Amino acid sequence: MTGTTARIPTYCYQCVAGPDLLTVKVEDGVATEVEPNFCAADVHPGGGKVCVKAYGLVQKTYNPHRVLTPMKRTNPNKGRGEDPGFVPISWDEALELVAAKLNQVRADGLTDASGYPRVAVSFGGAGTPQSYMGTFPAFLAAWGSVDMGFGSGQGVKCYHSEHVYGEFWHRAFTVSPDTPHCDYLISCGANVEASGGVVGVWRHANARVRGMKRVQVEPHLSVTGACSAEWVPIRPKTDAAFLYALLHVLLHEVPRARLDVPFLAHHTASPYLVGPHGFYLRDRASRKPLVWDASRGAAMPFDTPAMEEALEGRHEVDAIEVGADDEVLGDGRMVGETAFSKFVVHMKPYSPEWAQGICDVPAQTMRRIALEYVEHARIGETIEIEGERLPYRPVSVSLGKTVNNGWGGFECVWARTMLAAVVGGLEVPGGTLGTTVRLNRQAPARVDTVTAGPDGFMDYPLNPTDKARWSPHPNIRNAYRTMVPLAANGPWSQALGPTHFSWMFLDETPKGLPRVTLPDVWFVYRTNPAISFWDTEKLGQTMARFPFTVAFAYTLDETNHYADVLLPEATDLESLQLIRIGGSKFVEQFWHFQGFALRQPAVATRGEARDFTAIATELATRTGLLDKYNASLNKGAAGVPLKGAHWDFALETGQPHAPEAIWDAVCRAASAELSDGKDVHGLEWWKEHGLATKPFPQTHWYLFPTLVRKRLRFELPYQERLWRVGIELGRRLHEHDMHWWDKQLTEYQTLPVWKDFAAPWHAALVKAGGQPDAYPFWLLTARSMQYAWGANMGIQLMKEVADNVAGHRGVIINAGAAAKLGIADGDTITIATPARSVRARAVLRQGIRPDTLLLLGQFDHWAMPTAKDFGMPSMNSLATMSLDLTDATGSSADIVRVSVTRAARGATQ
Amino acid sequence: MSRAATPYGPNPWQQRHWDARAAANFVCGGMGSGLIVAAALAGAFGPALAAPMGVGVALIALGLASVFAELGRPLRAANVVINPRTSWMSREALAAPLLIACALAAAAGYASFAYIAAALALVFVYCQGRMVQASRGIPAWRDPWVPVLFVASGLAEGFGLWHAVAAFTGARAAWLAAALGVLLVVRIVLYRGYRRQLGKALHRDAAAALDRSGRILLWAGTLVPLALLASAAVLPGAPWLAAAAGLLAAATGAGFKATLVLRAGHTQGFALPHLPVRGVAS
Amino acid sequence: MTRWAMIADLRRCVGCQTCTASCRHANATPPGVQWRRVLDMEVGEYPDVKRAFVPVGCQHCENPPCMDVCPTTATKQRADGIVTIDYDLCIGCAYCSVACPYQARYKTLRATFAYATPMASETTRQDDATLAVATKCTFCVDRIDAGVAAGRTPGVDPEATPACVNACISQALAFGDLDDPQSNVSTLLRENRHFRMHEELGTGPGFYYLWDRA
Repeated sequence: MTGTTARIPTYCYQCVAGPDLLTVKVEDGVATEVEPNFCAADVHPGGGKVCVKAYGLVQKTYNPHRVLTPMKRTNPNKGRGEDPGFVPISWDEALELVAAKLNQVRADGLTDASGYPRVAVSFGGAGTPQSYMGTFPAFLAAWGSVDMGFGSGQGVKCYHSEHVYGEFWHRAFTVSPDTPHCDYLISCGANVEASGGVVGVWRHANARVRGMKRVQVEPHLSVTGACSAEWVPIRPKTDAAFLYALLHVLLHEVPRARLDVPFLAHHTASPYLVGPHGFYLRDRASRKPLVWDASRGAAMPFDTPAMEEALEGRHEVDAIEVGADDEVLGDGRMVGETAFSKFVVHMKPYSPEWAQGICDVPAQTMRRIALEYVEHARIGETIEIEGERLPYRPVSVSLGKTVNNGWGGFECVWARTMLAAVVGGLEVPGGTLGTTVRLNRQAPARVDTVTAGPDGFMDYPLNPTDKARWSPHPNIRNAYRTMVPLAANGPWSQALGPTHFSWMFLDETPKGLPRVTLPDVWFVYRTNPAISFWDTEKLGQTMARFPFTVAFAYTLDETNHYADVLLPEATDLESLQLIRIGGSKFVEQFWHFQGFALRQPAVATRGEARDFTAIATELATRTGLLDKYNASLNKGAAGVPLKGAHWDFALETGQPHAPEAIWDAVCRAASAELSDGKDVHGLEWWKEHGLATKPFPQTHWYLFPTLVRKRLRFELPYQERLWRVGIELGRRLHEHDMHWWDKQLTEYQTLPVWKDFAAPWHAALVKAGGQPDAYPFWLLTARSMQYAWGANMGIQLMKEVADNVAGHRGVIINAGAAAKLGIADGDTITIATPARSVRARAVLRQGIRPDTLLLLGQFDHWAMPTAKDFGMPSMNSLATMSLDLTDATGSSADIVRVSVTRAARGATQ
Repeated sequence: MSRAATPYGPNPWQQRHWDARAAANFVCGGMGSGLIVAAALAGAFGPALAAPMGVGVALIALGLASVFAELGRPLRAANVVINPRTSWMSREALAAPLLIACALAAAAGYASFAYIAAALALVFVYCQGRMVQASRGIPAWRDPWVPVLFVASGLAEGFGLWHAVAAFTGARAAWLAAALGVLLVVRIVLYRGYRRQLGKALHRDAAAALDRSGRILLWAGTLVPLALLASAAVLPGAPWLAAAAGLLAAATGAGFKATLVLRAGHTQGFALPHLPVRGVAS
Repeated sequence: MTRWAMIADLRRCVGCQTCTASCRHANATPPGVQWRRVLDMEVGEYPDVKRAFVPVGCQHCENPPCMDVCPTTATKQRADGIVTIDYDLCIGCAYCSVACPYQARYKTLRATFAYATPMASETTRQDDATLAVATKCTFCVDRIDAGVAAGRTPGVDPEATPACVNACISQALAFGDLDDPQSNVSTLLRENRHFRMHEELGTGPGFYYLWDRA
């Protein structure tokens, strides 16, 4: 049988652990197989391979349930039980429908009476949809103000506290160990074997065969726990106590000289003197924070050359102390204690013996782990990387969801970062690294985002809290600029605000904020908030009130059930886009190369689906924004500025361009950028080669050398700036009679005090009418590599292979705990909160605490074909959106107190 | 016919490759063979020979037809004889037509074929036992006691059925009743030996099913029939008592084989003699 | 001589099922037929629990129980150790399936599809010869033979290597010639402690599991 067979290179960026490379085998125009792209093996840190999800892309393309024509709603009533009455329409009619609404908005004004953008857009996937939406960002840029804060889980269900504090402390939107060089890793709930993607799995497999010891601290034996050397079954939401106990051991049970004293003294704010009011003591003239220089026997500004900073001690100095709102609180001789001394005292109560009752982990275990950590740290050693001699500290601590978000997230991230700092393992080879930035201004490499800020620290674009610039009039509905200074104000900040606020405040806007209004037009793409956020039943009812929703639809789902127009975009294997790859990206993507990769049509687009770029160009044309849209593309909205120092592929702004023409220009610009203008390759070249890269220095993985070169320090341990910001924020809120954020304001501390971080969830339970004894289980969720992110729920192959992994067909419960309740494997059980209940099959396992339940993924579908027949419930049906459970940065955590009873013998569906 | 997905996993599960149609082959084949042997040994002739021979052939044919219905490619069924070198199924398939031909000839009146048929019947049921034993994926099947147990049970069932048929034909052979009694004892002794040999190697569900069948084999399949045979020896109505004993012997044997295939036919599952050392031993 | 064998490093495997999915792709097997799959095994009692992920499939045994029982000689063994099935000889009796201690064999009576409506990616590769007969992992024998013919090294050159080995994102799977003492598999076996599944049955599997450094 003869025919044509081609292997088409493309990329997969379905989840944040990517992007990764693959080839699609196409036989006589039909995509049949996904394979690695071995041509990329030399540059991709995962051998040119893709994970199981990418193998679902063939079925994703040919799925008979795809929406393949534009559709409009004919039933004006929106509701879960209401059939939308979608009927097929032409593209022309669909685009006119949408354009008419958009043009009406332009006529009425981009923002409404409350000051909120009339157009809202929700993308899921933590930014990954951007790698599939073609030039739509250019349309949004041309449009103007858009509210991107109606979340589907971002900000609250993600690594939120790690995002904001990580980026604040070490340009670490996410944090990764330097796995290839790490010997000892403490992982509190980081499930890298499930969520770390190809590169995470690849690196950690190599590391453990090499001998890296990973201690997995987690209430259940996850896939990662299984692949670790040791499993510590910690009680849920007690990781802060665990990490504090480790710090306590290092500070109080280990000789100081065994810590990295030079690192602390020279490269952190440890020696900064803290005054009687809790603020730094500052030089009167320069206002620079003072340190005690042992060599000079005097207090000197922190950046004085050739000093011997005293790490510990109290000294009387002549200085000023400046508090919030620039108030001078003290002037003259004051006693200053080093931040480090305060830190040491602060950690004194948090012994392993104190922690063991909280964590349900033996004190000896915690002590041993702390000692193993410092023993493996090789303090004082160096390693040569690309000719540069750098500190070598092969120990690290990583955190996962529910640890690094919600109440206690701040404490855990702070404690983790301090654990790295005390052994000098922060941002050095072997240690704890940031991956990339989202909130700080973007730059080609993370190290280039470091600019000098106040007090010898890195600059950070905190949202203003001073009286002159703070405003209760937020730019979007989730009020991130107003409420969360750490969320900054970059292009991604909208999703870092409390994205559940947009939903919650629609019912009742808290005092002081402009009334939260429904958006006139809501675009939805690659996200399903009606499944992936909390309080899903309520969320659906809220969506039903939106006046005009445009969903870029793959199949029918629980969110586009409420849409007015469905637009079928050409999906992963059918459309065209070029993206940046390499450098350092989220999760564990540390490359020795950087460059670009092309996603190209492997097969003809099915049905009437259209390339997103074509849709975006049409929308721009029909709303009179074509010039601005093309100009935005020329400026770089498609990923590369089309005009650079040595090249000009700018598009003519007055006319619409086909996707091929646009991406050809982007391809040329990208290749020009890669080669400084020498090699220019158009779309045809990229279609053949799939990717192109240039070297990326490994030294760029580590921030420490840049801080040293710029003579900056890590803003640790003492959070003087954050505390000041918190005081100011509190004053501004109170000046406007806004007291509903007071609990959150208590999170702003110089040295975070341990609290019972499970208590807010107990309190929420009591508030809902339940008693903790009656709801004795903690319900958790965990990642499933086969499904995670996007529309993989409806892919048959994913379901089929996922079923090989325990827990995909029910709720995991400890076998002993189940026996006590008379529950056998396969029985149907009821999981309930005071307000709601769901049913699931019981999956009895040993690898989980008796007080914990585990529901993998986020299911409970009722509209998405195939997925709606799974019979799997979701925590999201039980969890509520609540201000009480929201921390200062606007995040919460996926954890609920529940009861369990047997509903029936065996499965009921 | 739609079937639920196999619960493939680390733990043993009841095999689903062979269903009731395969079980029927062993059930019918065993008792059919035994019946042919009994018919030959009874020394009867005429209808008293033709009837049991005929029923025996019918059972064997029914069993083969049943398993034929389970073939994926029945039109290629003739390929089944290609590998007598190593395959007991090929050998069974080669023996079957010869057995049927001889038994039919005996039934048709060529009495000398009866003994050849009996010998072939023993070969046939032995092949079936060896077939099951060679199924190395199923712990309860791959036991060395299985072939002799199949032969013993086949004979017990067949001798039992002979008495049921004899109740209609009026054939008499007192020593056959005694032989049946002996066979019943041999069967249960062999079963106990087989069960002891399996020991703890069975999945608990397989063990439970097998033990239940074993209890039935003991009580309804051995003790009660023995009592019936004993009373048949002294009481009037002997043929019907013996027939009842015979039917119990046959039914319980059938039940045992069906259980073995359909309820105690668990796979071995998977086992790790060593767990991986992830980084360092803990 | 050549003896092809596969190795699964249990220290590396994370149970992601990427190999399972890639095998489904490469061999166009119907839904549910997983010639390669990865088991999720839990051992011990809380809190002393261990969990391992174990790739399984046809072990291409030295003494294959399936071959002995096959009445039609559809199941054969090559000189290089690969156990093959001639679909055209097979009568679909499933005797081999119950003979296999590794439950590696499948029989699908009718063409089955992922969704109610068959997809182009399925119909284009539908091979009726594989219906109602025994099927199992072939060690991607077509790729190996084509690769060897083109001078490639199976297990080293991707185009000559089984799809599962190519796809594995933790590099847990390896493939090569055991009779070559310098091959990747021979080296791995030398440098690491290993076992074979159900060794006591004497099947002589061509599939090794690594569990620790030697």
